[in-house]
Amino acid sequence: MRRALLAVLVLAMATQARAVTYFVIVAGLGGEPDYVQRFTADANELSRVYTAEGPAAHVTTLTGAQSTAAQLRAALEETAREIKADDDFVLVLIGHGSYDGVEYKFNLVGPDLTAGEIAEMCNHIASKRQLIVVTTSASGGAAPALERPGRAVIAATKSGTEKNATVFARYWVEAFQDPSADTDKSGSVSAMEAFTYATTKTAAFYDSQKRLATEHAVFNDTGSGDPVREAGNGEGLFLSTFTLLRTGASQEAMNDPAKRELLKQKDDLEEKIDMLKYQKPAMDPDDYKKQLTTALVSLAKVQEELEK
Amino acid sequence: MRRALAISALLAACAVVAHAAVPTDCWALRKHGHGPEAQACFDSLTRSDDAYFRAEGFWGLQEWEQANEQFRLAADPKDSKALYKVRWGMLLHERFNDADAEGLFKEALEKDLSNAEAYVGLAAVSMDGFDGHAEEYAAKAIALDPKLAEAHELMADIALTNDDRDAAAAEADKAIALESDALDAMAIHAAMELIGDRSPDAWFAKIAAINPSYGEGYELAARQLELHYLYEEAVTYYRKAIEANPRLWSAHSELGVDLMRLGKEDEPYQELELAYNNGYRDAATVNSLRLLDSYKNYETFRDSETILKLDKSEAALLLPYMQPELHRIIAAYSKKYQMTLPGPVQVEVYPNHEDFAVRTTGMPGLGALGVTFGEVVAMDSPSARKPGDFNWGATLWHEMSHVFILTATNHRVPRWFTEGLAVHEEGERSPEWRNRVTPEVLAAIRDKKLLPVEKLDRGFVYPQYPSQVIVSYFEAGSICDYIQEKWGAGKLLDMVHSYAHLTTTPQAIEQNLGLKPEQFDQQYMAWINGKYGTEAANFDAWREKLKALVAADAQKSYGTVAQAGPAALAMYPQYVDDANVYELIADADRAQGDKTGEMAILTAYEHEGGQAPDVLKRLAALEQDAGQSGEAVATLERINYIYPVKNDELHRRLGDLLYAGKQYDAAIREYNALVASNPVDKAGAEFDLAQAYYAAGQKDKAQDSVLAALETAPDYRPAQKLLLELQGPSAKPN
Repeated sequence: MRRALLAVLVLAMATQARAVTYFVIVAGLGGEPDYVQRFTADANELSRVYTAEGPAAHVTTLTGAQSTAAQLRAALEETAREIKADDDFVLVLIGHGSYDGVEYKFNLVGPDLTAGEIAEMCNHIASKRQLIVVTTSASGGAAPALERPGRAVIAATKSGTEKNATVFARYWVEAFQDPSADTDKSGSVSAMEAFTYATTKTAAFYDSQKRLATEHAVFNDTGSGDPVREAGNGEGLFLSTFTLLRTGASQEAMNDPAKRELLKQKDDLEEKIDMLKYQKPAMDPDDYKKQLTTALVSLAKVQEELEK
Repeated sequence: MRRALAISALLAACAVVAHAAVPTDCWALRKHGHGPEAQACFDSLTRSDDAYFRAEGFWGLQEWEQANEQFRLAADPKDSKALYKVRWGMLLHERFNDADAEGLFKEALEKDLSNAEAYVGLAAVSMDGFDGHAEEYAAKAIALDPKLAEAHELMADIALTNDDRDAAAAEADKAIALESDALDAMAIHAAMELIGDRSPDAWFAKIAAINPSYGEGYELAARQLELHYLYEEAVTYYRKAIEANPRLWSAHSELGVDLMRLGKEDEPYQELELAYNNGYRDAATVNSLRLLDSYKNYETFRDSETILKLDKSEAALLLPYMQPELHRIIAAYSKKYQMTLPGPVQVEVYPNHEDFAVRTTGMPGLGALGVTFGEVVAMDSPSARKPGDFNWGATLWHEMSHVFILTATNHRVPRWFTEGLAVHEEGERSPEWRNRVTPEVLAAIRDKKLLPVEKLDRGFVYPQYPSQVIVSYFEAGSICDYIQEKWGAGKLLDMVHSYAHLTTTPQAIEQNLGLKPEQFDQQYMAWINGKYGTEAANFDAWREKLKALVAADAQKSYGTVAQAGPAALAMYPQYVDDANVYELIADADRAQGDKTGEMAILTAYEHEGGQAPDVLKRLAALEQDAGQSGEAVATLERINYIYPVKNDELHRRLGDLLYAGKQYDAAIREYNALVASNPVDKAGAEFDLAQAYYAAGQKDKAQDSVLAALETAPDYRPAQKLLLELQGPSAKPN
């Protein structure tokens, strides 16, 4: 999670304490039994992980025969009716996709849905913070139609022409089960952390098989422009603040008025550490180390006080 | 690349032309060192009315494109002579296009089935590709035209490559008897003198008397020296080739490649670039230059005994494993072979297999895992191979055996013996790395395809069936196993000494083992049949049983697998590759909830040399669950020799086990490997390392690591706690 956005982040987290995240997870048409089993298992596992969040998560999952365009439409309409502007909305599409050079389609039981149609349905959802994760083959072809300010889009492939079945979904699910995905040890897994985890593991999968990678995941979280493969130049900030799973108790401290002064000190120190890291290339290494150590020791002490 | 192919007989039919000069005259002038006259002669050919003559003329003037075009014109008519296609093919062969050259030779044979020169062309192409048909094609050419000196020269070259020196000498003599200016035959004789530590001067003097600028003679000798592991000597003769003919660009290129083999970088680059800039752009030159360009991505680590060259992207990970292993190997072999290496050994490790292949042969597509050039070893990195396909530890022990044996024998050792000893040494290091009888080997034993020891070298160089190289490695290794078993390890050392004194294989066998080679073969074959004859005889039946087991496993009929598995396993227990019976039984045990059985069968797989990292990790988990931490550590440490790269889970698990067992130094090694693996959880990795350093009493390093963890994740509570503890006045680990 990027500290440069700390002020915004704290506000967002404070808001999120009361907000709910609406998850809609769909395992599309598998075709072959192996794929049916894999897609269903991934969707169910993801559903289980998000549901474990408790009342902060509202999870709808469609698998097998339920995975029709009509059912998905109904699920999104229901979400649109229930969701508030401050709630988060997450749509995860698992399965096969196709791209004819113009239009992406998510393969469902019965008629498929195009990326445009899915975008249109999501546009009726009031949430100001949306995330659509398309883990299918050819999913890069869906990104342009799905992009919108306030909505991050993650696709398992860089374009519609990467048409082989993907493994991204497997590692997207794993990101919420493996504590190492929480790389900043904040007690939560952000969409950016999950994306980084899944792309790293996907690349390692192809590497270990000595196979040419046929999927290269991308994201766009600025609402316009081409999707990118890694954070930078403004891309990745929104995903970094988009918490998908909370695993720690940091939230409780945030809501305790008695600890607000300590929290303020903590924020200041974190900001200082971010600034030091930013200035690192231009600093004398010994000076950097000294200042970093001082700031980190202070931060550790503040955290100790917070936990008392 | 063979040049100046004599074409006198070939061109006899074309002697009547409008101009005075004919191609044979021009090539003869060049072969005899009359450069300006040859040039004028070729020049006159280019003005001929005959497209074929023009083609030869442009070829002689090294105007390749025009020569190619004129050959196309000459060979176009349906009734054109087979000769034109043969000569066109030779041009393409000389200009690095063996695929089209081979096609033209075959088209020539369609026109004229008895065209001996076309077979010479095919033999030349096969020689370049080491594809095993070279001897057959050369023999065919000789059968069709016994007076074709060039075919005998080729045959001599092939025989010497196979280290069949008697045959090489006989064929070279035949060529010289047929043509007194058979310069390549003389060069073969010179090479044999050099390989035998005798003076080649008389032969080179004969060559110089005919053509003082015939650098190709030195070049041919140098190439043979390389094939006999005499890399330094080869450099000398490539230099002589260049001295004789500074414009012999092929020699510049080959000198560059040979110098690369000796671990040099600057001079190879100059030589290769010179060749390239002068139009000598064969694949080996281009690939080698490209590889030299990539060396900026490598980092070199030196100490008194070793020079390790590792790709920067994996140097931090591999160095802590490879450098100590290299020292262990040097210590073990120095003691065993009672010798000290003259200088440090250079080991280059390539994460891209094709880079390693280019480093070795100048060409991609090499099947080997490592290659030794004197005191320089090039090998695949574990990251160059699929997990489980390769054990870098075994490869390093293998290649280092070559380093010692080449040094001990002053590079005078036949291929079969040094390879055999190297394979044998792998098994001496660990029974799990021993010479394993693969299905190809069983088939060769069953079909009686093992070679007599005296002829074993040819199984490595010009294989006559696809798996012959693998089979030859096995055979050579098992011969050394057999010698040790029957006569003792001392006899292997005695044979090393014999080869150092330039004895031949029949002499070495007779002197040290008291047997004629044929008697040795008989006894060895009886031994190998006794060892694997039953497996070989039952191979087809075993395969059928395995198929049935795989089918049962796919249908989840685990009871069937558990019942029938042991019998199939007993038929061929050495098989640990894909779809092996060990894993099938383990799956059945797991499905039936039998953890003890699963662990036992996977332990058997491990001890038989099974190397699939996932399977070994599964075994380690079972061992850990059963409270057998020591066994789990040993199992995971085996994977470090197989696939330590891109394997952060391995290093984390092993580090945790070692840390829990208070083996802090080893835990530090593993956590360092974890950090070097660039894991997703960088902070966690640094924290684990910090803890291990702290526990080992290395407070400063612990502080550095915990700072690295917190730099990534400032709110990381366990790391914060450790930092505060380290800041305390008398911090001591709990």
